[in-house]
Amino acid sequence: MGVGFVVGVFGVLILAHAAYSTIQYRSLLKIMQEEFAGPPFNVAIELVLGLVLSMWAALTVPGKFLSINPESEENRIVSLPANLDFMVFNHRGKLFSQQLDLKLKH
Amino acid sequence: MAGYSSNASEKKSSDAVDDLPILNAENLQNNLKIIYYSRTFLSIIGGVIAGILGFTSLTGFIFYFLVMAITSIGLAAKAGFSFHSYFESWNQILLDGFLSGLMSFVLFWTFAYDIVHIF
Repeated sequence: MGVGFVVGVFGVLILAHAAYSTIQYRSLLKIMQEEFAGPPFNVAIELVLGLVLSMWAALTVPGKFLSINPESEENRIVSLPANLDFMVFNHRGKLFSQQLDLKLKH
Repeated sequence: MAGYSSNASEKKSSDAVDDLPILNAENLQNNLKIIYYSRTFLSIIGGVIAGILGFTSLTGFIFYFLVMAITSIGLAAKAGFSFHSYFESWNQILLDGFLSGLMSFVLFWTFAYDIVHIF
């Protein structure tokens, strides 16, 4: 979400406008009784612009790649809570630390 | 203490010998999901553009290959060209989501072509 999403919506709108212009162009050709050889210049420009904007949106909106190496910086923090089930805090060491605190206070 | 440290160094060397590829599966899934998302969206956009341009038969498929090649380059640039810190192998970035993208490409290609050129 954010800037990339807005850019993507804008690209899709440009494409819709290009489609509408092509429809109009074709009806014009029908009146002039000519064959469709290719899209007009402004439609081609719009299509290229729409493709570039959508490309940018498609590459930025889905999010960032996360590193899969276990040695990398971000994975060290993330992998810690995975072991939380094996951590036991309810043992007799708890009492020991309380006594230590009392000793430190006095 | 000495015994413990020697034990640890032994373990480390045996790990190096085994050389098992250890990776974070959750992050790999996340990266593959991002690739699928990008490819699906861009194949839909490519299909609409091919339909508006009025491509037929082989030209449209060549256009699809072009769009997917540009997408692959874009994804590689997004990964900073260091594939092995984000994916298992480099061809994951090039090939994943290619065929499913082709289906939606053909769907939206015919859809846009019908709207613009036939009706």
